[in-house]
Amino acid sequence: MAHADERQTEDIEHEEASELEAHLNTKRMVINMGPSHPAMHGTVRMRVELEGETIVRADPEIGFLHRGFQKSCENVTWNQCLPYTDRLNYVSAIMNNFGFLKAVETLIGLEIPERAQYIRVLASELHRMQDHLTCVGAVGLELGGFSAFLYAIEARELIMDRVSELTGARLTTSFGRVGGLNRDLPEGWSERVSKSLDKIHELMVEVDGLLTNNRIFVDRMRGTGVISAQDALDFGFTGPCLRANGISYDVRKARPYWVYDRMKFDVPVGQNGDNYDRYLMRLEELKQSESIVRQCLRELPAGPVIVDDWRIALPPKAEVYGTIEGVISHFKLVMEGVPVPPGEVYDCTEAANGELGWYLVSDGSGRPYKVHVRAPGFAILSGVPRMIEGKMLADLIPTFDTINMIGGEVEQ
Amino acid sequence: MSESDGKKPTGDAQPPPPGAPTTHPAAQTGSSPSNPPAAAKPPAGPPGPPGKPAPRHPGFVTVTVDGKELVVKPGANMVDAVKEVGSEIPYYCYHPRLSIAANCRMCLVEVSNSPKLVPACQTPMAEGMVIQTKSARVHESQRAVMEFLLLNHPVDCAICDQAGECKLQDYYQRYDFRSSRLEGEKFMKAKRKVLGPLVVLDQERCILCTRCVRFMNEVAKEPQLGVFGRGSAELIDTFPGKQLDSNYSGNTVDICPVGALLNRDFRFRARSWFLSAAPSVCTGCSRGCSTFVDFMGQDTYRYRPRENEAINKSWMCDQGRLSYKSINQQRLAAPMLGRGEDRREATVPEALKSLAEQFKALAGTEGLAVLASPVASNEDLLASLAFARDALGVRSVYVGGRPDGAGDHYLMTPDKNPNRRGLEWVARSLDLSLRPFTELTQAITAGTVKALYAIGGEIPMDAAAAATAFSRLEYFVLQASNESPVTAQAHVLLPAAVHVEDEGTFTNLDGITQRFRRAYPPRADVKAHWAWAVHLAQEFGFPWAQVSAREVFREWAPRVAELATFDWDGAAPPVKTTRGINPLATGADGRPPGYREFGTPRVRGI
Repeated sequence: MAHADERQTEDIEHEEASELEAHLNTKRMVINMGPSHPAMHGTVRMRVELEGETIVRADPEIGFLHRGFQKSCENVTWNQCLPYTDRLNYVSAIMNNFGFLKAVETLIGLEIPERAQYIRVLASELHRMQDHLTCVGAVGLELGGFSAFLYAIEARELIMDRVSELTGARLTTSFGRVGGLNRDLPEGWSERVSKSLDKIHELMVEVDGLLTNNRIFVDRMRGTGVISAQDALDFGFTGPCLRANGISYDVRKARPYWVYDRMKFDVPVGQNGDNYDRYLMRLEELKQSESIVRQCLRELPAGPVIVDDWRIALPPKAEVYGTIEGVISHFKLVMEGVPVPPGEVYDCTEAANGELGWYLVSDGSGRPYKVHVRAPGFAILSGVPRMIEGKMLADLIPTFDTINMIGGEVEQ
Repeated sequence: MSESDGKKPTGDAQPPPPGAPTTHPAAQTGSSPSNPPAAAKPPAGPPGPPGKPAPRHPGFVTVTVDGKELVVKPGANMVDAVKEVGSEIPYYCYHPRLSIAANCRMCLVEVSNSPKLVPACQTPMAEGMVIQTKSARVHESQRAVMEFLLLNHPVDCAICDQAGECKLQDYYQRYDFRSSRLEGEKFMKAKRKVLGPLVVLDQERCILCTRCVRFMNEVAKEPQLGVFGRGSAELIDTFPGKQLDSNYSGNTVDICPVGALLNRDFRFRARSWFLSAAPSVCTGCSRGCSTFVDFMGQDTYRYRPRENEAINKSWMCDQGRLSYKSINQQRLAAPMLGRGEDRREATVPEALKSLAEQFKALAGTEGLAVLASPVASNEDLLASLAFARDALGVRSVYVGGRPDGAGDHYLMTPDKNPNRRGLEWVARSLDLSLRPFTELTQAITAGTVKALYAIGGEIPMDAAAAATAFSRLEYFVLQASNESPVTAQAHVLLPAAVHVEDEGTFTNLDGITQRFRRAYPPRADVKAHWAWAVHLAQEFGFPWAQVSAREVFREWAPRVAELATFDWDGAAPPVKTTRGINPLATGADGRPPGYREFGTPRVRGI
């Protein structure tokens, strides 16, 4: 207070001298960004304390999208958890579905058929592209480049069309079942995916050209939202946000699952840990994912898409309608769920934003005893104050974009 | 339905008494049998088959089950005994309270003293026997038995009442889980064959375990069922020209492990996985059989017997089984004031106020009498009779209740009131003398009783005749649960809860007091008798503040010599918890009882 008083006295003295050179009599201002704000992806609120345009303190406040996801899972069978997992990172729902199923399968000690593994990799990479396209497009949009957004969304729409052909849903896919997949690829789907990838490639050239070397864009991205490699590790960053710091950690390489060890792809790493590097990570991963999808389409083997075990997978419909064995198995699986042996497991996959981890506990019944999800976005959001405190308010927008926070998974 | 299975049979395996040798290392110090001193080696005996090994634990039989040592009493049944060490032997035909048939072959296990698999339910356990319940041979046998049992089983789960509580479903998914190798058509038998007033048989679903036949022969002692035919044509049926009309026929439905015998009363009314169960007591007669009340929302769907060694073993009679209907039908919902054309619905405070004014004027006069029903629980009677004595100043109580009916040779008694003994105890503790109902009607006719406060609407005579007598009353207050000709005569009619809607205790004819749990709360203005008594006492200015049956019991039961030592909390039967379809215990997680995540019940009323 004493300091403020001195400054006020000083102000008055100078007032007479020159009105223009006088200090602005500023005071700290607290503003709420969100929860309902177009740049605050989903409904997160950022309580920002400003001194002028400088952010003194930033406090992300979550919970507006809380759904009791983990507790809800305890009341339903393992397969019935899938629609809940859709709503975690809803931009790439399939990766949540498959990540959860993989953890359950690890708990059972189950290996799924090879074709199912290929399709899981394929669909995961398609949704990784969808997630990154949304992120890249949104960065352009929120920094004023609306055209880039339209190109990216056109590309995303192509993926959504392919995904809805595969799963029947644009957004909440609920795809896959414990032990494999609930349906095989539709007829002619692979060709359509190839064509879509060609078109997406063209569109990405446009987005790249519009943004990557755009002076205005680069000025707002480069050197903003910086976090050091050590801080990123300490906060528990994973995925593109960690790799932008030069740390090459990718679950697909570190602990390969499904058929990732057969795929040829690179894991891009950045240097500076700033917004621009995180943007470049996503741009490059789009290309790598496209390559993985094409490899999967080329190598896709024939065979079943779900295990042939009536304790885990529903029997074929002809058996259910025509035989007592089939109808009993169907009844027990639907009403009581897959009997997962008692035990606990931590298992993870590389989702679009980083390591998506599942801690599952089973008591041997058909329903989870405990489900906990390690959402990559949660750790990254907690690092946002470190990235922007002391920086300008305008930097908050690109920072919030490039960490790609998704309310659904952070708030569960 | 398998609720009564797997419980302790007579002569069941029991843990060794304290003092008996155990496998604990401390108990085995000294000479260890596995390392005997060389000098102590006995000389070689004469040639021939080896004699019986000396028991490791004298007085007990020591066997090895799946690599774990098990010490049991001689004569223990293997199926039950192996549960002590965590092993499980599946079975259909075995029932702890019935004779051994060993015909389902599901319990075949591998034992060290037989080259072939043996049925666990029938094989006595010998000293040193090594039992394997999980070996590949046993699993293959279980799978083969399941395949045979399902060979001619119809594809009925979707329309079968047993679905969800069917042992075929349970064991198929656990021990078979493969498709059938059957080629060609299934063998067809009669479906929907009505065996008697309460039981319908689907012969196609039957696995011929003969539990029902053995039950009728051995427990009900009314041989009405038999096995007819041979081979694929073998079937269960009643003897020619007879029907299954025993008063215990409902138990055959309970013990049927599959959907062959079904209850005609319950059939197609509810799916088993939508029902919750609460441990309760049957109010059909003074026997007080332990039951489960299966309910959904605020409706009761069926009673099932609950295991109770002291009273009903695993059984109950058909009359008691059907007595649940009065819980759902013709229930009173709101307080009523006035008689005949003046009758109107009233709010609870309005009814209490009007009642208290009248009672204050009548209290202590000769013209006021109190009628108590032995259908009410001990808690109801404790609070109501205490109110009658302290507030109304009566010295005697007339006894109402249901009229006597028929008894039978096993469980059912002629006295149809569940709590007559409790009423006697409570009245004695309050120095109230009990007077028969006939004296009341005489007194009303003579005009000496002008006002009556009735706790419970059950009357031990023809209801219409009683109504005529009650019509002479100048002031008639009735707390009743169901509509009847008597309720039409009341000047003040208060809706009362029934036993499934509240907690409490009943004392049966042998003086055994049993706790019952609440299944679901009563509807809006319906209250238990004790709650009406407490409310009325508060109108009188008494400092009564009991809000639960438990508090009522703790307040007044210590004055009743027979109930003083009763552990009300400790005697509460555990809430039924089953894994799988109904994983949530009734109200155990704080939700309203009967709640299921599958949605609210679509069937309202009966």
